[in-house]
Amino acid sequence: MKEIVFAGFGGQGVLTSGLIISEIAVNRGDNATWIPSYGSAMRGGTANCTVKYGRETIYNPAQEEPNLLLAMNEPSFQMFINIVAPGGIVLVSDIVNCDLNVRDDVKVVKVPSSAISQELGNPKGANVVMTGAIVKLMGDFSKEEALAGMERMFSKKGKNRFAEANVKAFEAGYAAV
Amino acid sequence: MAEMMKGNIAIAEAAVRAGVRLYAGYPITPSTEIMEYLSGRLPEVGGAFIQAESELAGINMVIGGASCGVRALTASSGPGISLKQEGISILSDEELSAVVINVVRYGNGLGTLYSSQCDYNRETRGGGNGDYRCIVLCPSSIQEAVEQISLAYELAEKYRVVSVLMTEGALGQMMEPVDLPDFVEPKRNPWGFDGKYTYKKIGIFDRDSMKESVLLKEKYAAIKENEQRWESEGVEDADYVFVSYGLPGRSTLGAVRQLRDEGFRVGLIRPITAWPFPEKAFAEINPGVKGIITVEANATGQLVDDAALAIKKNSSANIPAYALTYVYGVPPIKSIKADFKKILNGEIREVY
Amino acid sequence: MAVERKVPSIIDNPMNFCPGCGHGIIIRLICECLEELGQDQNVIFAIGVGCSSNLGGGLVTDRLHCAHGRAGAVATGMKRVNPDNMVITYQGDGDAYSIGIAESFNAAYRNENITVITVNNTNFGMTGGQMSWTTMEGQKTTTSPHGRDCAVTGYPIRFPELVANEFRVAYAARGSVSSPARINALKGYIKNALEAQINKEGYSIVEVLSPCAVNWGMTPEEAMTHIEEDLTQYFPIGVFQDRRNQE
Repeated sequence: MKEIVFAGFGGQGVLTSGLIISEIAVNRGDNATWIPSYGSAMRGGTANCTVKYGRETIYNPAQEEPNLLLAMNEPSFQMFINIVAPGGIVLVSDIVNCDLNVRDDVKVVKVPSSAISQELGNPKGANVVMTGAIVKLMGDFSKEEALAGMERMFSKKGKNRFAEANVKAFEAGYAAV
Repeated sequence: MAEMMKGNIAIAEAAVRAGVRLYAGYPITPSTEIMEYLSGRLPEVGGAFIQAESELAGINMVIGGASCGVRALTASSGPGISLKQEGISILSDEELSAVVINVVRYGNGLGTLYSSQCDYNRETRGGGNGDYRCIVLCPSSIQEAVEQISLAYELAEKYRVVSVLMTEGALGQMMEPVDLPDFVEPKRNPWGFDGKYTYKKIGIFDRDSMKESVLLKEKYAAIKENEQRWESEGVEDADYVFVSYGLPGRSTLGAVRQLRDEGFRVGLIRPITAWPFPEKAFAEINPGVKGIITVEANATGQLVDDAALAIKKNSSANIPAYALTYVYGVPPIKSIKADFKKILNGEIREVY
Repeated sequence: MAVERKVPSIIDNPMNFCPGCGHGIIIRLICECLEELGQDQNVIFAIGVGCSSNLGGGLVTDRLHCAHGRAGAVATGMKRVNPDNMVITYQGDGDAYSIGIAESFNAAYRNENITVITVNNTNFGMTGGQMSWTTMEGQKTTTSPHGRDCAVTGYPIRFPELVANEFRVAYAARGSVSSPARINALKGYIKNALEAQINKEGYSIVEVLSPCAVNWGMTPEEAMTHIEEDLTQYFPIGVFQDRRNQE
């Protein structure tokens, strides 16, 4: 069973990124849970969700010890760096400019998700770029499995019209790590 | 294929499929998605959705719908359910069937928005004035929750009581794969009002409470006898038996299995009905058990009272009952295991 | 030739109202109207708490005794699932305007297609004559022993006027049982209110000024005179919102 925490500003799409990963897992027959933090701030605050997936039973859906932390902003990095499992991965975006060398038992990977999504002309797609990077870093799903799961999620949400842009963003992130 | 669905949404759709045709309620985090969903969905199936001016009005609208024999629903959380107690007591007194969903959040008074199990005592003891109980179902997964909606109505209608689906904030907000139940044909209970006075009633001043009390006692005894539901694992040879429901119950199952792998003889009773409390599950426990341990998301320990009474009923030995209380959220497996070891080495003392 | 006066079958039951009470007249008028409109086998009552509770044992119809003040909400639930049944709330001034003001207001606010009958006797009768929100200025009750001081307790509420002025309700009126002429007029108001519901025009309310001789410390005759001479000065008789779609 794997655990990933997705964290960032509200509006950066971290909840959606988590949803894509969980859908990829379910789409290929794994178990998965997705659980958000929820509260009073509807916009502009920090947002995070925890996804667990795997072949086995998922007992506790809540945040425990993530194998990967996606930190899309500095407060998220600060808030969650200490709960990452030893040997885990911390994936940060290019807008995180604080000191990243605070633990020597985790691997920190920086992906310029904002720059990449700007280049692709899809500035809201930084979360999908990071989703591609996560799939590659975790190594649990093939790229084809992942794209199939992502497509299924967006089509369920009636957002097929962004399919091509999302695939491009995903592939760019996948290639970036 | 099971679809990823948010708990509150899945529960709301399951309610439609269970034949619910009236929803009335008031928004409150973390339950609101249920009413939001039903506001659009119920009219599609010819049902009534009413955004009530208050929690109090909401439960009274449910009384109106239930009195006409329709499957009526309301949902809320913590303080909202407090306001509904008057109506739940009325429903119980009038022997009207309805389902109330409490998506439990932590705290007294206004409380917080954190997922919790702090309303256990209130839900299992009745909560309003008088001498009644509600059947309380406490799911530990979204799948279990959607299956319990129709069960909640069947039990409520069988015994003419209120069923409470006691979920947790986290269960309402999380997503996991779920297979929704099939649609059932909405029905009208035969005792529902139709304007023709087919269901006879007597006035409040003509009632004989002493006579009614005999039937009341029989009814609640029958529920206690027939409707205890639970899941258990490894209790027959256990040195320690955990008792936990809902999401903490699910986390505890993980802890129990890991502890077993590490050589500890531990078991789990996971109540599926919080009332009637599954006392019968305790009859299966190893007579040489050394302790009962509840795992609860509240501060003071509530489930432990029922667990201690149940072990007392099933064993003449004075078996200690411990409570691991994690206040809110879902306790990590790691914490449950660590605290279990504190019980073993005497750092955590028994409650009873 | 003498004509036998027939009692509506749905109300042909003894009830325990005090001597000189107006409730008996009012409920009889409602049931006569229901019968004349062919609705007496198609009605559900949501009964309030107070003296109106006596209807629980009196009416031979579908009826639910609601929690104190909540009839507006209960009736809403009933009407939404049984739109073709007549749904009538029967409440006193304490029930409808004090503890139940929120439910009463909001049923009117939604223009819920129900009929509300409120019996205004300017006090909480059942509990022994406490001040209510319709108690008159200076009126002595068990909780205003020196006479109601409106400067600190507020002024008597005129609910039908409020909902007629503020909300788009179908029909709002106030009648009285203080004379045969008043009773005849009241029957007309009640019939209009019920017809409004039958025609799905929306919320209809009839408030009735009704004597409470016992708690007022008057004879039945004095109580009727009090309504006529004093109460109608503050609580005018008449229609405040007439039906819009009348043929």
